[in-house]
Amino acid sequence: MLTEVAAEDERGPYRARIAGVGRALPPARLTTAELMRSTRHRTRIDLEHLTGIRERRVATEDDSLGLAVGAARDCLARAGRRAEDVELLVSCSITKYRDGLVHWFEPTTAAAVARAIGAGRAVTFDVANACAGTLTGVAVANNWVRRGEVRCALVVSGERISGLATNAARHVRSIASRELASLTLGDAGAAVLVERAGEGEPGLALAGFTTVAGHSRLCLAAPARREPGARMSTRARAIHRVAIADTPLLLREALDAAGLEVTDLDHVIPHQTSVRAIRTGMRTVAAALGATPRNPPVVTVDRYGNTASTTHVVALVEELDAGRLRAGDRVALVALASGLEIGVVLFTVDPCLEACRAVRP
Amino acid sequence: MPSVLESVAVVEGGRWRRGARRLAVAAARRALRRAGLTPADVDLLVNAGLYHERLLGEPALAALVQDDLGANPDDPHPGGHGTFSFDVADGSCGMLTGLRVADGFLRTGAVDHALVVASDADPGRGLAPGFPFAPVGAAVVCGRGEGTGGIAGFRASTGSPPGPTLTATVAFDGRRNRLTVTRPAGADAAAGALAGDVAGALLADRGLTPDDLDLVVANPLTAEFLGALADRLGVPPARVGRPRDGRPVHTAGLAVALEAAAPAAGLAGRTALLVSGGAGPAAVAALVLP
Repeated sequence: MLTEVAAEDERGPYRARIAGVGRALPPARLTTAELMRSTRHRTRIDLEHLTGIRERRVATEDDSLGLAVGAARDCLARAGRRAEDVELLVSCSITKYRDGLVHWFEPTTAAAVARAIGAGRAVTFDVANACAGTLTGVAVANNWVRRGEVRCALVVSGERISGLATNAARHVRSIASRELASLTLGDAGAAVLVERAGEGEPGLALAGFTTVAGHSRLCLAAPARREPGARMSTRARAIHRVAIADTPLLLREALDAAGLEVTDLDHVIPHQTSVRAIRTGMRTVAAALGATPRNPPVVTVDRYGNTASTTHVVALVEELDAGRLRAGDRVALVALASGLEIGVVLFTVDPCLEACRAVRP
Repeated sequence: MPSVLESVAVVEGGRWRRGARRLAVAAARRALRRAGLTPADVDLLVNAGLYHERLLGEPALAALVQDDLGANPDDPHPGGHGTFSFDVADGSCGMLTGLRVADGFLRTGAVDHALVVASDADPGRGLAPGFPFAPVGAAVVCGRGEGTGGIAGFRASTGSPPGPTLTATVAFDGRRNRLTVTRPAGADAAAGALAGDVAGALLADRGLTPDDLDLVVANPLTAEFLGALADRLGVPPARVGRPRDGRPVHTAGLAVALEAAAPAAGLAGRTALLVSGGAGPAAVAALVLP
């Protein structure tokens, strides 16, 4: 596991903190019942029962860029920061749609976001790491802030990914379909502000990631051949098996590196694929580690579906706005993504982040 | 401690080896061999290539390269250190941006060895009729330096449109999705001018001038880019590299230029400027000191 621990030594003299988060949720809701009524074939699948997803948001106006820009503005407004202060801007989405379903490979989405929000002096590039993209971007930003390369970094992602569900609805015939997971997807934008922490602030304790590449072919997405947008083939059960088998060991490794016990964690925010997968996963972790975090895992997938690389931030904002995240709380963000990527970001909520909930854009 | 470039390798596509992923894997194997390493030694694998088989959006191509390479692909186990793989995208600046990301993790000691790969080739399946770039894969192995020599720093900038720039999009044309790459006249010159400005600023940061450089490694290797870069740096065009004939090399171009300029011996003992320009326009430069 690539592990970066906040050590404040000569190699990384500074500590980073998550100073702000923001999100963009399209207003239109699509219930699972409505989606399943739109399938071309009579599937007899009770997707809501299987996944716990009641509804998801679908973008009708915004594209990936618009969602990323919306989230970036929300984040800066909540944190009370100016776009001109951003020195690094990384865009981490899987989808890069602008002007409808036109996927832009070049120029980068990050440059377009920087231009839209006025972050004129930011270094910009895109990161792609499936649903672990945003947390990978946070790991990169943490590294740059720790070294003093930048003081303020903005990690963004705009996922207008519900088109994969639209395409899957034409092809899914049964519960065995490899496009079933596409029906769980929803749209959202996310942004995380990573900046240099003040003296004595706990901030971001650890970012640890590994790629179990022997399972890299379990989930593949690519432009559709004869439809707009993309299609995704997922062997969901196999992914779940690997995640269940591998996550406890890696979480233990991350906690050990940070000098923490699982009982030190106030909140765990896992990647949001389905309610059942999250609960089974946490039970397995608890059994393997012999203890549980102080609170049950955060679940937002029931309301927003799987919003790909934005799930952790969508959930973070939800918890902040509900007043459930308080300064001093220890949070573990746990990534699980095609690749097969498993990652952990451990941080302590500081007053600046807690205050993000008080300021509405 | 600065990180160092330990080896570089370039593999050109041919009749039997055309897919971008295979080119990246072949280049990675060669680069690791040259560095005296095995795939299991790779802690971090960053892919900066853009156009590969089927234009897969996920997983990261880096994960597939890791698997094909056999770089710690197995389930985590006690005592194993694993490999972390992901992609960066920054057009033809991607390899330098990938090196910058890798350099960061090497500097904090999070990794001992990083592998940066880049490759592009026709993605097949009729996705990209008239695909404009040469099928080339490249890999660079980086490690933690022991002395003061190595990558001393980076600089990057994104220019302001409107201006001519390369664009690459996938859109549905009513029958199927197609990749369209446009390279308007003046795009490479605009990128070259920006690259010259970025490189000049990086040298100025260190109190250096172009006269202090033993080597300039530039990408893309087109006459327009190199001409504008040389002009802005105030050096003769021959100092920034010779244009390459045939279809342009895209994300792997920096390694092509590097291998041509400093084969095998790498950059040890030399003051070198690595500089790329591309879509946006955007530019990235790195300074390597002896």
